[in-house]
Amino acid sequence: MTTKPELNLGSHLVPGLAAAALFVVMAAAILSSTMPEPQGFAEGANITASIGYAMFNLDLGDVAGESFLVAFLVIAITLDVALDGAVHLARREDGSGRGLVADGGRALKEELFGGEK
Amino acid sequence: MVPPEFYLLLSAAVFCIGLFGILTRRNALLFLMSVELMLNAANINLVAFSQVWGNVTGQTFALFTMALAAAEVAIGIGIILVLYRNFDGVDVTDATTMRW
Amino acid sequence: MAGILDFAPAIVLLPFVSFLVALSVGDRLPKGGAYAGIAATAGSLILSIATVLTVAGGQTYDATIYTWAEGIEAVDLTFGVLIDPLSAMMLLIVTLIAFLVHVFSLGYMNDEGETGLPRYYAGLGLFTASMLGFVVADNLLMAFMFFELVGLCSYLLIGFHFREPGPPSAAKKAFLVTRFGDYFFLVGVVAVFATFGTAAFAGSESFPALAEAALRGEASVTTFGFEPQTWFTIVGLLVLGGVIGKSAQFPLHTWLPDAMEGPTPVSALIHAATMVAAGVYLVARMYGFYAISPTALAIIAFIGGFTALFAATMGLVKREIKQVLAYSTISQYGYMMLALGGGGYIAATFHLMTHAFFKALLFLGAGSVIIAMHHNENMWDMGGLKEKMPVTYYTFLSGSLALAGIFPFAGFWSKDEVLYETLLHGLDGNPILLAAYAMGLLAVFFTGFYTFRMVFLTFHGNSRSQTAQDPHDVHWNVKFPLVVLGVLAAVAGLVNMVPVAELTGLHIEYLHQWLEHGIAGLTSEHYSTLLHDFAGYGEAGLHLSPLIPGAVSLGLALAGSGLAYLLYNVPEPIRHTDRLGRIKQILYNNYYQDEYQVWLANGVTRPVARAANKFDGGVVDGVVNGVSGVSLFAGGRVRRIQTGVVSNYAALLTLGLTALILAFGILGGWFV
Repeated sequence: MTTKPELNLGSHLVPGLAAAALFVVMAAAILSSTMPEPQGFAEGANITASIGYAMFNLDLGDVAGESFLVAFLVIAITLDVALDGAVHLARREDGSGRGLVADGGRALKEELFGGEK
Repeated sequence: MVPPEFYLLLSAAVFCIGLFGILTRRNALLFLMSVELMLNAANINLVAFSQVWGNVTGQTFALFTMALAAAEVAIGIGIILVLYRNFDGVDVTDATTMRW
Repeated sequence: MAGILDFAPAIVLLPFVSFLVALSVGDRLPKGGAYAGIAATAGSLILSIATVLTVAGGQTYDATIYTWAEGIEAVDLTFGVLIDPLSAMMLLIVTLIAFLVHVFSLGYMNDEGETGLPRYYAGLGLFTASMLGFVVADNLLMAFMFFELVGLCSYLLIGFHFREPGPPSAAKKAFLVTRFGDYFFLVGVVAVFATFGTAAFAGSESFPALAEAALRGEASVTTFGFEPQTWFTIVGLLVLGGVIGKSAQFPLHTWLPDAMEGPTPVSALIHAATMVAAGVYLVARMYGFYAISPTALAIIAFIGGFTALFAATMGLVKREIKQVLAYSTISQYGYMMLALGGGGYIAATFHLMTHAFFKALLFLGAGSVIIAMHHNENMWDMGGLKEKMPVTYYTFLSGSLALAGIFPFAGFWSKDEVLYETLLHGLDGNPILLAAYAMGLLAVFFTGFYTFRMVFLTFHGNSRSQTAQDPHDVHWNVKFPLVVLGVLAAVAGLVNMVPVAELTGLHIEYLHQWLEHGIAGLTSEHYSTLLHDFAGYGEAGLHLSPLIPGAVSLGLALAGSGLAYLLYNVPEPIRHTDRLGRIKQILYNNYYQDEYQVWLANGVTRPVARAANKFDGGVVDGVVNGVSGVSLFAGGRVRRIQTGVVSNYAALLTLGLTALILAFGILGGWFV
């Protein structure tokens, strides 16, 4: 028998008031500020292509933008590092050298439940 | 054109919802999800101002932020895995050995 | 010869070199550093003789050798050398006696098989260097530093046999009692600097000259709200504190008899002839400063006269030979202080010189007797040594005749002049001086008595113990210094025979002539002028012949000696002093002064020290511990913020961010 999900209210929600307070302050700051009129983009400008050109320091886009080649390369390296880090963190310590198992868990199932089908 | 204040308000709201999640959630995976929310709130902000200044810098930067968020989640999940192995659960209020 | 005075620092440095030699390689030298010491003191002696001859030719020397602290609009602190007739004479005395004591030590220490000799000779060398440095000092601060150094050497040498219980305790007592006086001396030195801006002894810019000018109204000095005369008296009395300690005057005399625990050559050098002379020499050196203050002079004279009598009474009943000599030393330095206070500057220096010779002689003679008696000092175990130790006997007799003041030995002339000068200036209308004179005169009788009691008990009569019948031999290194000093004790008085000069009209008072010349402001003529102008000595223009007072004191000395002759010059003397009964008890226990001083230390100083310690531990340490306690408590509470729960940290972050944005917003006018 299942019960319907209940909203978990309790005293652990009290710190959340800080978030609410922050929202109130930010809203007050935003509403009392004056923003410049949005300029928008030219009619028919190819924004996606502009983003692509900006990333490689090529000045061929319709819309102007800063060049992000260095950031692009750095992010590439970061993603690579993150991959290696995740694999390393997931490694088991029993020295079996099995970093990543890609067999869908069949060997593990055999080990845990011993040869059942 | 939508006035940029609305985008900013939306961004602030999403940020604070994410912050609320960080402050109150006990499950580590839900904690990570709240962090994702906060990052995306910042992205909304960036794109809104890209429209205000008529410049693609904001949008490009938002792309990079997303890539970074992905990398961060990869590491985060790895950390949660190690946390699970050491504390037999993913409750962040249980892992309190680094204290006074 | 003109450049000889430039070598004056070498006189001080040669013994210092011997100190270093004995300290570093002494244990490898055959005699433990003795020959280095003998060579160094011989060298200093030769240089001193040369210096005396040069000064006799009319030269003087006053130079700053080293400025060790240059003051910017403040005083300069320097080391310098001052050679004038007084210091040249003292140099000769100190180097001669140091040389003879070094030679004597070969016989007393080396031949007796003592151990630790390098330490002994190093101590002697350092002492000689310090004393010579003190003698040639040209300013009060340098004098103070060497004063302390000689005190240190005295401590080291008294406590030479430190493994026995007596000597270290005696050394501590000597050091502490003199240190108590030196505290006042130091305050006096600082007062001199503060008042005059200089502590130099000689020259037109010296502090005695400035003090005289201040009293004549020609100059002005800072006197801290007092009348100049009063303030100068106070400063003089402060410096006198150190003098009383070092020269063993009442009440700081208690250390000297205990200092006899040291080896006898040390007693001869330090506690008879030179170190205790340092106090008297200091007063003589700055006599221009004391001469302008009649109160200080009266106090000095009274202390001197009282100590002379006081110590002479205690010397009457002692059993050990060195103890009699120790009390005799205290008494004779009382005479010198009496002379200085009574306006007899030349008499005081004359007695200083003769006393150095005959007292060193007596101590060395006692050392010879002690060697012979296998280190038994009790006179009642001696007797009949006259035939077995003729050289020692005759030289000791010469010294005793000088000490008792019998014509024509040295002590007669000097003691006679001391008493004469005091009487002369006392009759000018100074009752304190007359009282001091009376005490000094009475002490002459006692001096004669105890001196000859000592001689007869030691050398005459039948031998009262086995050791006395068969005494240990002494060698040439013991006899040679005794002979030299014996001759000097006999003839040294001839340099200043004032009564004979009076009688015959010949100008044979050589010491008067010697001290009349020299650096302006430091001559005896100048001192007479000061005494006349400020202290009123010699105002009445009284003219007393020195013959009658001389005859009186000679008569008393002969009476005392005669009484001792009657009582003790018998084959089997008995303890006549027992007849004094209770008085003997008091005298033997030194009027209970030692117990009194210990009581002062225990009853007065110790509770004060305990209270100060409690204040230091409770209040001062309490404040420091309290500060750290507060810090620890606060830290203990604040660290509980780190709960380890990451949500708490996030909550704190958020609150902080909110507060910051709010603050910036209000200050920056975002919300208006």
